[in-house]
Amino acid sequence: MTQTPDTHTDSALIAKVKKGDDRAFTQLVHRYEQTVWGFAFKLCRDKQKAEESFQDTFINVFRKIDQFDSRSKFSTWLYTIVANNCLMHRRKRKLEGLLESLDDAPDPENPEVQKQLAAWDDSPIDTMMNKELREQMDAAIQELPDEYKVVFVLRDLEDKTAEETAKILKLSVPAVKSRLRRSRIFLRHKLHGMMAA
Amino acid sequence: MKHSHSKIHIHTLSCGKVYEHLCDNLDSQLDSESCRKIKAHIEGCTNCSALLDSLKKTVYLFKKYPIPSVPEKSRKKLFAVIRLEKTKKQSLR
Repeated sequence: MTQTPDTHTDSALIAKVKKGDDRAFTQLVHRYEQTVWGFAFKLCRDKQKAEESFQDTFINVFRKIDQFDSRSKFSTWLYTIVANNCLMHRRKRKLEGLLESLDDAPDPENPEVQKQLAAWDDSPIDTMMNKELREQMDAAIQELPDEYKVVFVLRDLEDKTAEETAKILKLSVPAVKSRLRRSRIFLRHKLHGMMAA
Repeated sequence: MKHSHSKIHIHTLSCGKVYEHLCDNLDSQLDSESCRKIKAHIEGCTNCSALLDSLKKTVYLFKKYPIPSVPEKSRKKLFAVIRLEKTKKQSLR
């Protein structure tokens, strides 16, 4: 099937979708499907859950497109829907113990920490992406509370600014920065075993 | 050559303070006075520099993690559901 060239702006496509134009909706899906899928996969770390989130997100877009008022970017709205979907799908966990461990900042003056850091320095990072490391990364990111994980994924993997992330998640910028800091330290700590191996 | 931590007091910032800020933006090119102080500290402090490097590597690994493409069956399923939604919408009018 030949597709028409995708030259419309998001606003133009959305206006057409609001009038019931199926082709415009298809174009909108094609334009953002990898963004939605990729973001959902990075959050869920599971193809089936990413699939559910992918479906739910675009069905929500279809149902609620009239509510989108074009004052914010369409992609911001999409990210918000995916994040809410993923967070909703997951059972709320008791965070207290975990949050304490997220607070454990490494003390660079501690000799133990210094030994750990040396191990990171020696690791051939570009040749390390094997199955075992991927499994460890999956396990590490799954241990992060969702509220932290979503900040890490948006800021560091989707390259959103702190301001955009705050807007998507309806958080303050300092809250985004604090969660990002804790997430990075937590993940670094969790991957340390692989670095020292 | 980088100095050991004990030689960095001239930079006036503690490692803890640097840790708080170095996480905001790992590759920050910011030029404010506080950023310059942080950069100066990191350049002179082996441990903070190693910590920053390990954080960068952590992020790099997660960025490098391969993300699969949208499966064709997911796309087909989506459009099938959307057709149903549309029929439902029309029948309600």
